[in-house]
Order: sequence, then structure tokens, then C-alpha cells
Amino acid sequence: MSEDFIQQIQRLATEANAKLTAPHKHQIFVDVEQNKLRDFVSRLGNDAAIRHLSTISGLDLGQDIGIIYHFWRERDTVHVRTTVPKANPVAVSIVDIVPGAILYEMEVHDMFGVTFTGNPWIDKKLLLPDTWPQDLPPPLLKTSKPAEIRKRLQLEVEKE
Amino acid sequence: MSSEPTEQKRRVETAGLIEYSAENLVPFGPIHPALKEPEYFKLILEGERIVEVIPRIGYVHRGLEKAAEARTWVQSMYMFERTCGICSFAHSLAFGQAVEGLTVYEVPRRARYIRLIIAEMERIHSHLLWVGLMGHWAGFETLFMWIWRDREVVLDLVEAICGNRIHKSMNTFVGVRRDMPENMEDRIVERMKFLADRARYYRSVIDTEETMLERTEGVAKLRPETVEKLSAVGPMIRCTGIQKDIRLNDPYAAYDEIPLDIITRKEGDVLSLLRLRLDEIVVSTNMITYAVKHLPDGPVRTKIPPVMPVGENSSHIEAPRGELFYYVKSTGGRTPDRVKARTPTLANLPTALEMLKGQTIADVPVVLTAIDPCFGCMDRMSFLETETNKQWTWSGEQLRQYGINYYFPERARK
Repeated sequence: MSEDFIQQIQRLATEANAKLTAPHKHQIFVDVEQNKLRDFVSRLGNDAAIRHLSTISGLDLGQDIGIIYHFWRERDTVHVRTTVPKANPVAVSIVDIVPGAILYEMEVHDMFGVTFTGNPWIDKKLLLPDTWPQDLPPPLLKTSKPAEIRKRLQLEVEKE
Repeated sequence: MSSEPTEQKRRVETAGLIEYSAENLVPFGPIHPALKEPEYFKLILEGERIVEVIPRIGYVHRGLEKAAEARTWVQSMYMFERTCGICSFAHSLAFGQAVEGLTVYEVPRRARYIRLIIAEMERIHSHLLWVGLMGHWAGFETLFMWIWRDREVVLDLVEAICGNRIHKSMNTFVGVRRDMPENMEDRIVERMKFLADRARYYRSVIDTEETMLERTEGVAKLRPETVEKLSAVGPMIRCTGIQKDIRLNDPYAAYDEIPLDIITRKEGDVLSLLRLRLDEIVVSTNMITYAVKHLPDGPVRTKIPPVMPVGENSSHIEAPRGELFYYVKSTGGRTPDRVKARTPTLANLPTALEMLKGQTIADVPVVLTAIDPCFGCMDRMSFLETETNKQWTWSGEQLRQYGINYYFPERARK
């Protein structure tokens, strides 16, 4: 079952020009380019019946921001990885393919500053306070310092 | 019937989906310090009916994912345990399993059984707490009092095994920190029988008591397509007839070694969630009884070095509320490079918004409680009626009373 499953994902990955690695049991990582992502995700749903999106993680990779879509079916977790440049953090939204992604994309937007084009709620804040200063870096980037965030948010409170 | 000039109606910024004016907007939430998880909902109404809901969360965002980057692996485990005050063991278990996957060590069999026992006890106490809260919000205070009394039974057992009632600090990497105390078997079996009897009794109460049936039967019906589409988790997906449970589909701890019985229901309304969770309590008591009687001998932990190998891994478990997901990335240091946690409430939030559509204001407390959110902040709810330019604010208690009066006018308090 599991071997067939990996081969099925491998076929989809090859078609999308993506690299597949399976470092641990039942953990499959697929690196997909931004422009192939939507196609790959819809193929996963239609051809391999993987429709349950666990969550979307952001990652600070130095020059780039990594975005991981964690899908799950039966015993296997499929992590679809993609990157966007930190200088221009714009990614495509998959909300129309996987409607459950809407809040996860908002979370990555809040925490890493990535804008998902096509998400209707992306300009709204989900987790960060309304008083979050615009010039502060998004909080989960490695350059962001908790002490600085605390100081600036305190200032915003005092302003009110 | 005066026709107000429409330009006077203040247009409110929308999600870009529909346009609505201020008279239809009910802000709902966000905070009450005594309660668990503040959330805020903008309810957009047409008369009494809700047509759209926009969520706003993050009022208690504590930045744990960021904090983990400055802590060692072991410190992170006990910090993540404090994410939740109800399913604390689930958090340390999911994080622990994700990190254990990076290493080459295997969890001892006895430790896997002990993990299962504590995880199931946690499910019992979480479900009991939730059924009690449902009683409270539906106006059935006696049920709340009785259930919370019975909940003490399972909390006492947890305390006897772990030393703590809530933050058990029982897990460690590749095992558990404490062995089961001696001579606990008979006591656990006896208490489990008591809890199963109580759960069956509450099940019969809910099936016959008019107060609960009136407030929950047929309310906020979910369809299987909706929950699949929105990636819902836990009881929310099982109440529509889909057999999806990580204990069954992707077994962890000792779930592949003991008889499993996954409860599903077909109806998808709030009542089916109540019945499903009470049945799950009975199933959990059976699992604990079986696990205690078949507890294998051997060590409960393996000592491992505090530095984790390079790599990335994820783990998910069936917490009381549904799938709890952790992703970890290690660069070989003493601290994690990245930890991502996703709690079941966030996964179920889009489904809750879907459930609220078409319901009345009176149903809001019951429907929002139905997803078993870490949530209860009903205070600070304000209403605005533009035609008469009347504005008023309701406390959580007033909202609860409104719901009860709406359904049972004869019981209205003078």
C-alpha cells in the first residue's frame, strides 16, 4: 500500500517537475515551484484523494521564505514545500482548491508577511494585534526580536 | 415605515464577499479574563438569522513558536504542554513524537501503554467538561453540576498517576517520566466502570430531556461534503458519518495493539455531537481498562542525548478535540530551528462559521460551544439597531438568558 502510494506521488511529482524525498517512515516531502503549486495540489486531491490539509507552516530560510502545506491521508503525511523570495513575498492562494486553507494562509501572512493572491480575507489580521506597527518585521522571521516587539507594542498601548 | 436615506447608513468594510451595513452587524466577543480562549466574531444578520461570520482570533497569542527557538528541546516540550489547560498531555505527546521521529530511538512498549492510558483519561475529562458546558449554555444547570462532580473522579486518577491534575509533565523524549504506581489496577478498573455507568446515564438523560433536545436537535446541521471540504477534524467530522480518527487511520502510542471502537453518527447536528462524545467516553473507559489489564513489563524510558539530529518531521495525534499537528525542524543544535503547532480549534473554526450561517442569535452560544472550542467569552457583546438608533450591550449571562427565554418563554425569569 505504502510503496504504491509513494510511487503515485512520485509520478505526480515528476509531472510537476518536483523533487520527492522520504526521510522518515510515512513522511513524504515534495519540493514544488510556485507556478506549479496549484496544479500539483489539485492533482493530489483529484488523482491521489489527498484532500485533508492539516496546516500551512512558514519557515525563515535566510534569503527565502519557505511555505509547507501539510496534507494527510491514512498513514502518510505529504509535505508540499515551496519558497518565495523574502524581497517579494507573494504566493498563490489555494483557497479555491482547498477551502480549509483560508485561516492558515492568514496565519502565514501575519507571521511571515507573505501575501497570498486570491485569498479574500488576506488583508485582515488574524493573530497580530490591530496596533501592530507597520515598520516592524513579521514576528516569526529570525531578524525579529521579541524584546523590540514588546517595547513597540507597549508604546502603542501608551499612545491610546 | 420611514425610508431612511441610504447614505446615512454607514458602510462597513467587508471581506470583499458581501456588502453589509452597520445595522446588521453584531460584534461578538472577544474577552473575558476568567474564561479560556477569547475569540471575536462579527455576526452579520438579516433579522434574527446570521448570514455571514468573520472571525478574529489571537487575543491570547503568546508567541510560543518563537519562544521555542530560544529554548532547548526539553524546555520546549514542557512549554508546549502549557499551550492548553485541558489537553496538555496531547500537546507534549504530539511534540514529543515529532522529535522522537528525528532520532533512531524506539519508545518502550510499557511507556506507549502508559501514554495511551493518560491520553484517554484526558479525553474523558475533556469530554465531560464539554458536556457540562453544553448543559450550562442550554439552560440545564443540573447537568453541569453533576458532570463536573464526576469529572473529579478521573482527575483524581490522573493526579494519582502523574502527580498533577492538569499540567501532567508526564512525557519525556522516548518515554514517560514516571512509572504507574503499584496496585493501581483495581482502583482504575473500578473507577472506569463508575464513569462508564455515569456516561450511559447522561446519554439517557440527553435522549429524553426536553431542555437539551429542544436546544440541540436539528440545530446547525453539518453535511459530510462541508466538513471534508473545510478539513475539519475530530468529533466534528465523525458526527457526519465519516470514519476518520487518527487512532484508527494512523495509530500511535499503543492504539494498534488494543481493541478500538470508533464512534460515528449520521445526523451532523449539535445533538449528535453530544451523543457522540458521551459514547466516546464509554469507549475510552473500555480502552483504559484493557490497557491497564494488559500493561506490559519493562522500562518506561530511554535516556537520549539532548541534541537532536538534523532533519524535519511532523506528528499528529487525536486530541480530545481532533487532530493536533506538530511540525519540527532541527539544524542539529540544542534548540529547535522551527516548531509549528496547529490546534484542533483552528482547524474547526471555518466549520463553525459554516454552522452558524442560518442560525438565530439565540443559538449562537450552543453552536459555538458545539465545536468544543477553547472558548467561552460571551461577555462584551454589543448590539446596534439603526432604525431606532438604539444601541445596547449584553453580558454573556444576558445572552444565555435570551437563548433560554427564546426557546422556553414559560421559564422566563421575572
